[in-house]
Amino acid sequence: MEGLALKRIDPYRLEISRKPPMRTWGIIYANTAIERMLGNDEAIKQLANVACLPGIVGPCLAMPDIHWGYGFPIGGVAAFSKSDGIVSPGGVGYDINCGIRCLRTSLEQHDVTPKLKILLASLFSNIPAGVGAINKNLKINRKELQRVLRTGSNWSVQRGFASSDEMEAHEELGCIESADPGYVSEKAIERGLPQLGTLGSGNHFLELDVVDLIGDESLAKCFGLYKDQVLILIHSGSRGLGHQVCDDYVHTMMSAAQRFGIELPDRQLACAPITSKEAQAYLGAMSAAANFAFVNRDLITYYTRASFEAIFRKSWESLGLSLLYDCCHNIAKFEHIIWQDKRIEVCLHRKGATRALAPGDPRLPWRYKDTGQPVIVPGDMARSSYILAGAEGAHETFFSACHGAGRLLSRQQAKKIARKKNPLEELKRRHIQVIAASRTTLAEEIPEAYKDVSEVVNTICDAGIAKIVARLRPIGMIKG
Amino acid sequence: MSYRLIDHTADIGIRVHAPDIAALFHEAAAALIDILDAGGAQQEVSIDINIDGLDLVDTLVRWLQELLYLIQVRGLRVAGFVVHEVYETAVTAVVYGRYTQTPLAMEIKAVTYHGLKIQKCAHGLETTIILDT
Repeated sequence: MEGLALKRIDPYRLEISRKPPMRTWGIIYANTAIERMLGNDEAIKQLANVACLPGIVGPCLAMPDIHWGYGFPIGGVAAFSKSDGIVSPGGVGYDINCGIRCLRTSLEQHDVTPKLKILLASLFSNIPAGVGAINKNLKINRKELQRVLRTGSNWSVQRGFASSDEMEAHEELGCIESADPGYVSEKAIERGLPQLGTLGSGNHFLELDVVDLIGDESLAKCFGLYKDQVLILIHSGSRGLGHQVCDDYVHTMMSAAQRFGIELPDRQLACAPITSKEAQAYLGAMSAAANFAFVNRDLITYYTRASFEAIFRKSWESLGLSLLYDCCHNIAKFEHIIWQDKRIEVCLHRKGATRALAPGDPRLPWRYKDTGQPVIVPGDMARSSYILAGAEGAHETFFSACHGAGRLLSRQQAKKIARKKNPLEELKRRHIQVIAASRTTLAEEIPEAYKDVSEVVNTICDAGIAKIVARLRPIGMIKG
Repeated sequence: MSYRLIDHTADIGIRVHAPDIAALFHEAAAALIDILDAGGAQQEVSIDINIDGLDLVDTLVRWLQELLYLIQVRGLRVAGFVVHEVYETAVTAVVYGRYTQTPLAMEIKAVTYHGLKIQKCAHGLETTIILDT
């Protein structure tokens, strides 16, 4: 699609006007700083492509961390009608339910700093990370994996890897009920079986942060956050199992799209009507992969707690390692949105975006009823991360917010810059300790490769979608 | 090797060119093996590959996806391979190598269809493939 023009509506929003064959318009959440970073990014074209898909409801949205992906842009949010809309594996991505969680601790920086080196070493030893990492400590058979896929975090509780009182701190309570392992291929099972409880590589990480600024005292108190407190962020997904589910169903959907006469602006947007058997099969398999990802993060949490117990010689409960929240980034789900003053159920695709429920939403657990949903926004390795809370204005994004800083440079460009400096030394100068399985990953993930997360967060908060609860500063991390 | 990396914000792009379609399939596979650092193995096994696709682009993607599966999941390290025949909706090939889980240079989640076209160029044929990493 050529000749797409961006029009500024207000200080926080840009509009892509509808132009055939688009069925709707696009909104990009961007202040002027974010707009400058957009440039001629292919992501704008990708957003316009999504707007061409059948049954789209309302505008096609992009969060301020938008960047070029494949099919959907990363940072994209799109709602589709249950009756005449579609579901697209490209609208979820390969890393199904890639997501992030935040664990609180009752430790402060001065408690952790003297033991940081040994703590990171223990975490790196306990949590398999890196290219092709497998978990040799977890022996599960195919039958048990089926239970993981069907019941998600309930399996973690039954097996003693998570506690029942933290289930409500998971999006969807840690289990998407429409999961049907019968639709997951043998190849996907083969890929997933050895990888449950592994961090992976690329932008997946475990990070220790310190709360360095409280944005809203009252919300922070409700979230159990305070200045100088140490928090833990864990970012991982459904590993090879999810990648294979996406692969399998992109193939299925390409044939289905042909059969249903759906014109695709990009093959990666292959899709099928929600009511079709292909879509139902994909939703069953995708939900199963999402449940795998919940358990993956539960297991990483379990190993994290074990490391803290070993280093601090106290139980994880007395160290206060409780779950603040677990958010999905890449997912398609039936959710209620407000559109034209009506509450309707749609098939909502989020690819690189976080759900952000507003205060009072019935889907919130009681502890967050009055605050809005915790939204965890990681930044790059050196600058800040944020804890936000969904705000009243979130209805306009179908209750969605940003999921990170968003890449600015390609991996090649990042590596070129990293060659001229020592990324590890630079982080050390900022008092950030890192253990990485690969030097290449570290080079690809240098801070300069990302947008300034503060600009991203400010845009989303100034637009009324969320509120800043706390700003975090990284002190240590392990990377795949 | 007739490929070069192209800039893509989130992932990896490779641009491949070759004189004909069989050579293009060969060069794309060679690029994938090179990026993963999955080559240089001894020849202990040979694997016949028969892939069906919906059209040429789909066949190319499925061929690379199968190689990716053999390398990343089954632990195949490649000694060599021959692309026998490429049709509009099929490719036949044989891959030689050894099953061993020696470390790879990186993890590729998938070979994507994003913007993928096979088109004529000065060298014969050219394609750009985005790999999700």
